[in-house]
Amino acid sequence: MTRRGYLARKIGLSLMTIVVVLVINFLLFRVLPGDPVRSVIGRNVRISIETQLALREQFGLDKPVFPDQFMTTVGQWARGNLGISWSLRRPVGEVLIAKLRNTILLIGLGQILSIILGVTLGLVAGWKRKTAVDMAALTFSLVAWATPTFWLGIILLAAGSTWLGLPTGGIVSPANVGRPLYTVIPDLARHLVMPTTTLTILYLGEYMLIMRSSILEVLSEDYILTAKAKGLSHWQVLRRHALKNAMLPIVTLIALNLGFTVSGAIYIETVFSYDGLGRMFNTALIKQDYPLLQGAFLLLAVSVIIANLVADVLYTYLDPRVRAT
Amino acid sequence: MLKSNVLAAIVLSTALILAACGPAAPAPTAAAPEVEPTSVPVETGPVVLKVGWEGTPDTLNLAYAFLVESFTVFDLVYGALTTQQPTGEYVGNLADSWSLSDDGLTWTFKLKGGIKWHDGTPLTAEDVAWGLNAIMADPDGWATVSNYVAGFTEVTATDASTLKIVTEYPVSNMEYRLSWIYTVYPPDFKQFTTAEDLQNFSNFEIIGTGPFKMDTFDEDQRILILKANDDYYGGRPTIDQITFQTYDNSDALIQALKVGEIDMVLDVPQSAFASLFEDEGVKPVQVPGSYFDELIINSVPANHDPAPNKNPALDDPAVRLAIAYAINKQDLVDVVMQGLAEPATTIVPPQLGGGYWHNTDIKDIPFDLAKGNEVLESAGYVMGTDGVRAKGDVRLEFRLQFPADNSLYARVADSMTSWFGEIGIKTTPEAVDSDSLYAAMTPVGDFDLVLWGWGPDPDPDFILSVITSDQFVDGGWSDSGYMNPAYDQLYLDQQQAVDREARRAIIWEMQKMAFDDRPYIVLYYQDLLRAYRSDRFTGFIESPIGIESFQSLLQVKPVQ
Repeated sequence: MTRRGYLARKIGLSLMTIVVVLVINFLLFRVLPGDPVRSVIGRNVRISIETQLALREQFGLDKPVFPDQFMTTVGQWARGNLGISWSLRRPVGEVLIAKLRNTILLIGLGQILSIILGVTLGLVAGWKRKTAVDMAALTFSLVAWATPTFWLGIILLAAGSTWLGLPTGGIVSPANVGRPLYTVIPDLARHLVMPTTTLTILYLGEYMLIMRSSILEVLSEDYILTAKAKGLSHWQVLRRHALKNAMLPIVTLIALNLGFTVSGAIYIETVFSYDGLGRMFNTALIKQDYPLLQGAFLLLAVSVIIANLVADVLYTYLDPRVRAT
Repeated sequence: MLKSNVLAAIVLSTALILAACGPAAPAPTAAAPEVEPTSVPVETGPVVLKVGWEGTPDTLNLAYAFLVESFTVFDLVYGALTTQQPTGEYVGNLADSWSLSDDGLTWTFKLKGGIKWHDGTPLTAEDVAWGLNAIMADPDGWATVSNYVAGFTEVTATDASTLKIVTEYPVSNMEYRLSWIYTVYPPDFKQFTTAEDLQNFSNFEIIGTGPFKMDTFDEDQRILILKANDDYYGGRPTIDQITFQTYDNSDALIQALKVGEIDMVLDVPQSAFASLFEDEGVKPVQVPGSYFDELIINSVPANHDPAPNKNPALDDPAVRLAIAYAINKQDLVDVVMQGLAEPATTIVPPQLGGGYWHNTDIKDIPFDLAKGNEVLESAGYVMGTDGVRAKGDVRLEFRLQFPADNSLYARVADSMTSWFGEIGIKTTPEAVDSDSLYAAMTPVGDFDLVLWGWGPDPDPDFILSVITSDQFVDGGWSDSGYMNPAYDQLYLDQQQAVDREARRAIIWEMQKMAFDDRPYIVLYYQDLLRAYRSDRFTGFIESPIGIESFQSLLQVKPVQ
């Protein structure tokens, strides 16, 4: 099959998957017990019964799930309208974009750093296996990966704010509110240091360990022995033969993880008061804010599926064996 | 080979041990070293009060605002005809004086002179009338405040500074009702025709008549900035700016106060309060509050339709009395609430109206397990071999449920279970999702004992209504299912008792009724917890309405 055919098939499958995910999600949320109107307004609010009924009507909850609610939602989505969040009273699309920006900034940065550091560390560890360097890297990665997120975040927050004068939360200082982010980079950087460090430490373990075992596996292959026998230097062996093959599993991992970036990192976001998608998911679920939940899961599904698609495509370029069938 | 295997094993086990040691509930605020706040530069610039809180306003539209944070902002930016003073009584805010006609149905308010909107235009009685009429015309749209205009038939501005309100029946708590109906800026609201459009308007560029005006609100950064209103008719505030910052977890919030990143914290979590006393520059504020937690006993009558699903023993007054004897409220206050509460008696907390409404004659049932046993014994509940009392085939075994999102309830439930066990009552604590719990209670009545809480309004009308028969319907306030026609009648009477003393007598009687019938056993009244940097600011009014009230912030000034 040609590459184009392969791609077309993959894209078709992806679209179908997205549709299935959306339908399942739509049903799942409405199966949850409880009343969204009460969840949104809470217990200590003096709203009359008539007004609650009016709200229920406004949200479309007085109609049956099939076909009314479903068709309304589908109709909205077909027109590109994701609806209005019941708890935030803002268009869902607007909310998602705002939180997405925050999330990509923090988690994207953390992921990239952890990829670079993790892969390098894994490479070094695998290359120098069984030496002190390897043992140290291994220990560090295992400990980092096993550390509870919330705990590490709080420790770094306390340490950073007490000893380094770093902010205790948020994205920018109040003085810089309203200015475009690219004009206040130093302030933004100060706010991102601790959360990004926390994220990097936590995520790099995964990359390090997989890279390490990948390298070890590749290094035991016959063609590496051949290359060394031919007289190539260590560096040449690494660069021309080992690295490319060892990177393949990492590419898959990176693609998947980047796809899931969109789900945010709720612990980090909570510790550092960072308003990202993780907390938004959580709040939307608690408040049973269906439009927001549906929009959020749409985003997540699309993101993961696109990431997968990209990984598949990359593979056809990186690995000649894949293209064959 | 062996050596490296052993080494690998050691490495792995070290990692596992370290992982297992990761604590579940970190408290680094207690362990953090003594800290000097980041130095405050000598003020030549504007005086800024930085406030930290755990929520954020989701809207600044009075029609659809439910969060406490929105109302904190309203209090500073808006004015209302009346307002509650830190001492508890109601005084005029926009209104200078008012009078009531002899038939008790017509109120006439005279506005103060010189009040201006933040955009400079003068406030007139027309503006106030517009707001009230809008709410009366669209109660569903103005969801948050429509209850407060119940019974209003006609609102008119007879001239630029006089407002007339006519009611259908005498209203006993007019000042309290009006204090919630902040006067909104009509030009911003006139455009909306449907309830949905009105509610989708966030009003973040809010214009009011209050001592502070809106500067910026970035809802994605969750930072809100208010500036002083130079033309405020009550005198310009001393501080120039207030900044509100949101923190998603209480540890970060307290840490921010300690390092000086913020000057004031609203709603200090109980677990962190004690640690604030260690820091010299920080003043913790503990004031008696009105939020309370209660044990709800299923009081749905057995002949109700649909019939309740509960243990029938709960209808026996002796069982209820015994349960009351078996609750050690002081212990709950000391241990679970860490001393930051007071043992409670009635559903009308002493804090309401400066203490005017609380029935002080009622003596609480003391904690007395022997008495509890005695009451049950004489009522015919015989102790079984399994330690559970029974009368015929009715066993004293109850479900004890509570909302899962509150960790304190779990501890209260555990304490209660052990006390009840000593008088032969078996309870099974169960954390339930609050939505499901509410759905099981109102109006289904499928529960035995439930732990929950209320935040009463300053006027007792609301909290008295939660045990009326009318409220035990879908969407209503009654979770207990208590139905007492005599109580219901008294509730209607107090709503129209314009004479304060007469109203108080009725409310006292209602409290006695509720206390004796025990649909609720009110456990404790929680204290209001705040904190601020006393090395930077002074002049806060510490009262049950909080140090963030506009009266307080009007006079706050930096420490010299």
